[in-house]
Amino acid sequence: MFWIRQIINGITQGSIYALMAIGYSLIFGKLLLVTFAFGEMVVFGVFVSYYLYAIVGLNLFLAIIIALPISWGLGMLVDKICYEKFRDEPRFLMLITTIGFGIFLKSFTQLIFGTGYRSYPNFIEGKIIVGGVRITYIQIFIILTTLLLLYGLNLFFKKTKLGVGIIALSNDLDAAKLVGINVNKSIKFGHSLGVVLGVFGGMMMVSYYNAIGASMGPILGLKAFTVVVFGGITSLPGAIIGGFTLGILENLSVATFGSGYKDIVAFVILILILVLRPSGLLGKKIDLF
Amino acid sequence: MKRTTLILSFIFILTISLSMGVLAQTDTVKIGLSAPLTGDYAEYGENFQYSVQIAADEINAEGGIRGKEVEIVVRDSQGNPAQAAAIAQEFVNNQDIVAEIGDFTSTACLAAAPIYESAGMVQLSPTSSHPDFAPSGEYMFGIVGTQAVEGPFNVKELALNYLGLDSSAVIYINNDWGVATMENFVASAERNGLEITGTESFMEGETDYSAILTNLERDNPDGIYIAAMYQEASQIVREIDRMDWDVELFGPSSVFSMEFLKLAGEAGEGFVTNTIFYWEEDRAAVQNYVEEFEKRAGRRPNLHAAVAYDSMNILADAIERGGFDRSDIRDALAETGEYMGVTGKIKFTDAGDVVRDYLILKVVDNDWKVIE
Amino acid sequence: MFSNSKISNIIGNLKGIILENKLKIYLIILILALIFPFITNNQYYIYIGVLTLMYMILASSLNIIVGYTYQYLIGFAGFFAIGAYTTAIITTSFEVNFIFVFLISGIIASIFALLIGIPTSRLGGIFFAFATLGFGEIIRLIIINWDTLTRGTFGIPGIPRPKLFNFIINTNTNFYFFALLILLVQLFISYRVINSRVGRAWLSLKENSEAAKAMGIKIAKYRVLNLMYGTFWAGIGGAFYAYFTQYVSPDTFVLDEGFRIFAMVLVGGMGTLIGPIAGSGLLTILPELVREFARYQLIIYGVAILLIIHYRPQGLFGAKELAQAKVKDEK
Repeated sequence: MFWIRQIINGITQGSIYALMAIGYSLIFGKLLLVTFAFGEMVVFGVFVSYYLYAIVGLNLFLAIIIALPISWGLGMLVDKICYEKFRDEPRFLMLITTIGFGIFLKSFTQLIFGTGYRSYPNFIEGKIIVGGVRITYIQIFIILTTLLLLYGLNLFFKKTKLGVGIIALSNDLDAAKLVGINVNKSIKFGHSLGVVLGVFGGMMMVSYYNAIGASMGPILGLKAFTVVVFGGITSLPGAIIGGFTLGILENLSVATFGSGYKDIVAFVILILILVLRPSGLLGKKIDLF
Repeated sequence: MKRTTLILSFIFILTISLSMGVLAQTDTVKIGLSAPLTGDYAEYGENFQYSVQIAADEINAEGGIRGKEVEIVVRDSQGNPAQAAAIAQEFVNNQDIVAEIGDFTSTACLAAAPIYESAGMVQLSPTSSHPDFAPSGEYMFGIVGTQAVEGPFNVKELALNYLGLDSSAVIYINNDWGVATMENFVASAERNGLEITGTESFMEGETDYSAILTNLERDNPDGIYIAAMYQEASQIVREIDRMDWDVELFGPSSVFSMEFLKLAGEAGEGFVTNTIFYWEEDRAAVQNYVEEFEKRAGRRPNLHAAVAYDSMNILADAIERGGFDRSDIRDALAETGEYMGVTGKIKFTDAGDVVRDYLILKVVDNDWKVIE
Repeated sequence: MFSNSKISNIIGNLKGIILENKLKIYLIILILALIFPFITNNQYYIYIGVLTLMYMILASSLNIIVGYTYQYLIGFAGFFAIGAYTTAIITTSFEVNFIFVFLISGIIASIFALLIGIPTSRLGGIFFAFATLGFGEIIRLIIINWDTLTRGTFGIPGIPRPKLFNFIINTNTNFYFFALLILLVQLFISYRVINSRVGRAWLSLKENSEAAKAMGIKIAKYRVLNLMYGTFWAGIGGAFYAYFTQYVSPDTFVLDEGFRIFAMVLVGGMGTLIGPIAGSGLLTILPELVREFARYQLIIYGVAILLIIHYRPQGLFGAKELAQAKVKDEK
């Protein structure tokens, strides 16, 4: 029973990792944009929805619906500041621009939304008990949302012009330019979409844990990044499987070795994957600078 | 043209700010405040800043210290020991600054300690509860009370006497404070016959506690001691609630705050802790402070805020008696008799710590109530 | 407001002047650095001078790795931590001459570089960066968890002052000249190494791996060698930090610290000896200048990095280096 419960814990945590990783995987895996400001962007977007809900007093769903376009705008802004000017420069510059932007955004978020932790409301209350195991509705909701988003993104990449364009430019930038794909517009769109997905995932996450704080950003970004590398940078389904696998492995390591080594396990796995199979579980080999 | 304007205005601003610095030097006594205003502990640094400023404003309203107006020089340590050390160097070098209040974390205090010590300036930490801190130097003072005292109180009074537990698990945050809190609690539990079924730690910024709590639940303890700050503690009790785990909840005084009630909701019901500061205590000093803090910060002060307020006042008291010389302030501070602050009686031991009287608090109907 | 090209021009011109009178200017800077502690009595300024020199040592060490072989080591704080903790552990348990302690700290950092360098020697740019990020965090987590050796989260206080015969390096001014000496020795050795056969091999890796392979240069060997050489100085920098602050704790060696040193290298201009010196000077002194703004300090810091990279993507003193990186990038 103990092990079953730990695995269920792992699945829950993994589903949150997976949800967070979708947006990251889009930005990093499909657009090949390196980012160290992802967690900070997510926290900022979630805080906007919190602000609209708790301070302005809007209905929670309305607050979320308004916060998403604002996150889109943030995505456009970050692309403008951190990426657009450097599209023809070496890629490692993204490391430094996003590090700089991350430092800025974390302090900025604290400055306008406050330094403490805030209580974020639960979307859906309630739980069911199946065979002695408790499953809350929001857990089910998170898993369903993850799968739905995966399906939706797949459609987007297959059926829409923009989506096909993004895939094309992630495969071969020069060829994509030749066939007349507007690279700048595609990247901008893809990046903002990634940020919005990240923020949406972040809202689910804080709704599950009921708390939001400005200092949560960096760890969130680091986890999303680990998951994406783990599952395969270029593969969306890989990111999802990576999320679940990492969640379960982390929880099993806590169950076996105790808590001190949980994060070490995550980083050791990260290095092993990078060294032994840089393309991750499901990704294909790519050459990033 | 535009560029010239920009450069000129920049020079203008620079001159103004420099000359303001010069003008401000008339008849003031400066106190340095080193606190984490950004970074993960920003909230606590902010509490420091509000509280110390409130105390200073009150002192100034009554004519200052020995006729001089108090001015607080605030610096952001970001919770980083290296930054705290750089700030220490700036403070000791500024001859107008007579003493320092800060920092929030024990590691930042310890990193700055050699610099204050060799320059002979008081470092009065409101919150450093690490048993090593105050004994580390003549000029080091801590007023929150060390874990070496709070730990045994929590074992004897909370766990054994009040809750009547036979066994307890411990969950603690893996930083210097959390480890000291856990170690002191566990050591005292062993001496007093409280069985510890297991200890688990988590890193700062953790959001998911399900795995470690499931580990602890396996041994079926009567209670769980939650050595964490309010935000993590609220997450932990929510997870315990989600697990339907029926266990007595208790923890050190760091959990006591308004925000815990908001964040934990019903899951926090029945949580027992201790405190040296209680916002409904009907002493006028406490009520004035709570009111003023709420007005400025928009929230009620917690323990970490209140000790900063007391730090400023106790320092002002020492300067009043000892004068403006740095080492005279140190001596006057050490000789402080029983000072009555908003956090109760303060009297330094020979090492520079204080021994505290604790109240027991419990969450009843989503509010903190004192247990007699 | 400013146009990019104008700013670039101004800096470019300035750089031109500096390059034309290279020796003279270096000499003037050196003389200024030497007399600095005598023209001010302000201990705080001298203290900041020491910190600046320490970051110059660290940034120059990272620059050897990032700037000369394009190994994007962003988990640099891990090696800094290894040096600092080696010194802290040795000096609080044994009485050893500080020169040996420095060397041991550097060597141990190098050994760790060897351990992480061999498996990652085939990883390209960003993957190497991420692997080292993981490595840096693992080091910090081990320091936190292995408390019998490192005292865990409490850190190690009471590191004694370095002593040479009867002279104790104690005051800020002592440490200032000590750091300056280390930096000059480091720059001298690095200059010689870069212009040696090994250094030319590094440069050939940087310019074109394929060509290097064709010339029979063992890429993996030279990459690891480069990593070991660079991190040796990171260990030295860590040892200096431990001696200077007399206290080490895991709070100092967070990822952000590595990011900052990385920023110093890029802002100054990687692949030049002078670039990281300028970058670390700027990014250490700037936050001190705006310390009064307390809560806005980090915001200003972040914006400053972004502004410099926007106006000069190659950094203050970098020039054609970026063009080469681009060539490699497209391979």
